[in-house]
Amino acid sequence: MAYVSIPAYWKTIPQRYSLIGLRCKNCGYINFPAREICAKCGKKSEFEPIRLSGKGKIYSYTIIAAGSTPPEFLLQEKYVGSYPVAVVELVEGPKIVAQLTDCKVEELKIGLEVEAVFRKIYEYNQVIRYGIKFRPIRKRRIHKGS
Amino acid sequence: MYKVAIIGVGQTRFGEFADKGVKELFVEAFLEAINDVDKGIDPKEIEEAYIGNLGVGGIQLGNFSSMAVDQIGLHGIPATRVENACASSGFAFRSAVMAIMSGVCDVVLAGGVEKMTDIPRDKLRYWLGVSGDTEWERLAGMTFPGVYALMALRHMHQYGTKREHLAMVAVKNHKNGAQNPKAHFQRETTLERALNSPMVAYPLTIFDCCPVSDGASVAILCRADLAKKYTDTPIYVAGFGAGTDRLSLFEREDFTTLMSSVLAAKQAYKMAGIEPKDVDVAEVHDCFTIAEIIAYEDLGFCKKGEGAKLIEEGETEIGGRIPVNPSGGLKAKGHPIGATGTGQIYEIVKQLRDEAEKRSRQVSGAEIGLTHNVGGSGGTAVVHILRRG
Amino acid sequence: MVQLLFTYLGEGDFMEGKCGIVGYGVYIPRFRIKSEEYVKAWGIFAAPGVKEKAVAGFDEDPITMAIEASMNAINYAGIDATDINCVYFASSHPPYAEKLMSSTISTAIGAPSNIATSDFTSSTKAGTAAMLAALDFVASGRGDFALVVAADSPYADFKDFIEHRLGSGAVAFIIGKEDLIAFIEGIHSVSMEFFGERFRKSGEKFLRDLAIRSYAKYALNKIYITCVSELFRKVNRKPDDYKYAVFQQFDGRTPLEVALRLGFKPEQVTPTLLCTKIGDTGSASCLISLASILDAVNPNERILVASYGAGAGSDALSIVVTENIKKKKDFLTVGDYLEDKEYVDYLTYLKFKRGI
Repeated sequence: MAYVSIPAYWKTIPQRYSLIGLRCKNCGYINFPAREICAKCGKKSEFEPIRLSGKGKIYSYTIIAAGSTPPEFLLQEKYVGSYPVAVVELVEGPKIVAQLTDCKVEELKIGLEVEAVFRKIYEYNQVIRYGIKFRPIRKRRIHKGS
Repeated sequence: MYKVAIIGVGQTRFGEFADKGVKELFVEAFLEAINDVDKGIDPKEIEEAYIGNLGVGGIQLGNFSSMAVDQIGLHGIPATRVENACASSGFAFRSAVMAIMSGVCDVVLAGGVEKMTDIPRDKLRYWLGVSGDTEWERLAGMTFPGVYALMALRHMHQYGTKREHLAMVAVKNHKNGAQNPKAHFQRETTLERALNSPMVAYPLTIFDCCPVSDGASVAILCRADLAKKYTDTPIYVAGFGAGTDRLSLFEREDFTTLMSSVLAAKQAYKMAGIEPKDVDVAEVHDCFTIAEIIAYEDLGFCKKGEGAKLIEEGETEIGGRIPVNPSGGLKAKGHPIGATGTGQIYEIVKQLRDEAEKRSRQVSGAEIGLTHNVGGSGGTAVVHILRRG
Repeated sequence: MVQLLFTYLGEGDFMEGKCGIVGYGVYIPRFRIKSEEYVKAWGIFAAPGVKEKAVAGFDEDPITMAIEASMNAINYAGIDATDINCVYFASSHPPYAEKLMSSTISTAIGAPSNIATSDFTSSTKAGTAAMLAALDFVASGRGDFALVVAADSPYADFKDFIEHRLGSGAVAFIIGKEDLIAFIEGIHSVSMEFFGERFRKSGEKFLRDLAIRSYAKYALNKIYITCVSELFRKVNRKPDDYKYAVFQQFDGRTPLEVALRLGFKPEQVTPTLLCTKIGDTGSASCLISLASILDAVNPNERILVASYGAGAGSDALSIVVTENIKKKKDFLTVGDYLEDKEYVDYLTYLKFKRGI
């Protein structure tokens, strides 16, 4: 069975743990995931790492029904059932695909404001693989009266 | 460069066959293709083979093409396995065409085979996630239907397409499949049944998804100027095109079109010297109902965003302006991944020869046919335009 | 501020009131289960005073909770993650028995590679132990900012009564030298051997409690009385000097019993009892209650925090709130996390904990 190896997963930690995008010094485009050649201008230029805020909106989504999930999510499917996956358009521009968590089906809609959270993605061979999911923004750091 | 003709086609029924493996299926399709050459052909005249296969059945890890030509009694000839996900045999066919155009070969075999129903369910899950990107899409819990579901939702959001339109595609293709003895599903369905069936990846239900099937298909091609030696009804390859798109859907600009299809179609129309309206019959890649609607637009059968209107107005029924998927499409005819592309060729060849099995499926007077074969979520695509002689 | 410094007499006054809390943040999972669900399932809910508790979702664990709490603390402190010189992570029931988890946390928050990290575990006083170590780190001049984060989601056999009280939560503090919202005027720690209370052997999944009541009570009181009275002697304080007193919250009743025995009044303790809403959060318990108090406290008020870890030991801190406490306005409070909730039933609870 094919799987994503430990080194391959590890290599993408800056993206998976911290949403680090790579800003192309040639054209300014923020590449996410990381690339060797800028996705916009096609040049192998230098990149500047930039930590994305994790804030964005749902661009599209689906709900993966129980019974059809990829093998990595077999356990999750058994215990949690069907789960939503979305393409989120981050405020800085790039789009990212990730699961939605702490989220009810009724809340899902294109345009819903979401924020990135660090969660367990799956476990393989006893090693926990962590990464980013998104959840609806419900709490905001607003100015509180004294 | 030489022109190319198809002189024989063969295809097994697509479906679930516990007692037939890749070898049996491929040989069956091969023998049918040989017998289909009406003036006869000695198999030894075949100089080269391109065979599409993803490897779901997992019987042979490397050198699949060597195993395939060995089984059909042609070991010795150059053989290549082509893999572009669901567009494997479409691309195998294209390679065969180019081998002849270049003058290297006169007679070439192009085909595909896939065995999907003999692996345990858990292993099947892995294959069903394979068509898109693994690192990001699959590890986000995405599945093959999931990726198309994302496209469907955007199409609904941007153009007002409704779930009913998706269901109409399913109804049409099941109606066609019910009349196709080679189809996996030979039963009609209703709009209601399609709409109310269980969700696979919202908003796609099980009726929006093609099945998992076993099957094989083979086409025999030769130089156009030699075709009449083999058959009185050669079907000519008038044009072809192919393209790619970013592998991951989320890295694309627009989820409601497949750049690979658009590029492939443009190239093919240009080479054939025709426009979309000249196409009399088409077999398009409806791995999911939304894929057919998007294909209408990408192939130029209607304007962008109006795919839903086309199905709603019945224009793509067998009697309509542009019949699409008279075979039942991937939806009803089945989708043995490696065999689908040349399976589409099989259908169009039969249509253009006025030989559709069950006359009710024959598109009358079809002269120009189009096949549209897509890999996965659109990473690759290939279009062929065939023409009656 | 200077006057308050000079009232601190103490021995070993390495801190000289120089270091303390610059910022803090919490994380409480969204899901909650009510005591009624246990009564439906088992006929009894064996955690006195706990009305409902927080439940970590299927994709959460102490590390994921710690990271969100840490990001909140960094936001409050107004520093950059690259300013952090030390990350101390505490959990009595961490996801790995061996694997440096503080590096997962420090990497995820964006702290530099040149950093001191350590994981504190093996008792419910791991949180305060990490806090004391962080204070040492900064006070000794090893670095400017230390992040201490305690996160716990303890786990026990579903048939056992101890399981009823176990909740989930995380809290993080940024320890520094300047712009303190609270400084530590004195600390004391105590350690005495008591075995067979609440424990878990290596490799075992489930927390155990032999529940030898009078023995456990004796240990708790002995440890607490020794620790807190010695702290009072060092800093020359008495119970009435404190606005609030935070004790280890195994349930809603025990901390009150301990407090009364030490000479505190119920109104000093009751507001600190977060366990009534989130359950027993293990090594995060005292510190998360401290955070909820800091949300509400006023300048110059005093807070006592005294943890308890079975086995056994206690860390006690005498904390003084400064004028800076009301400065930060845009941050997520414990109240914000408490309000954002969704109830689950017992079956869902079991599934989240992979109990069936």
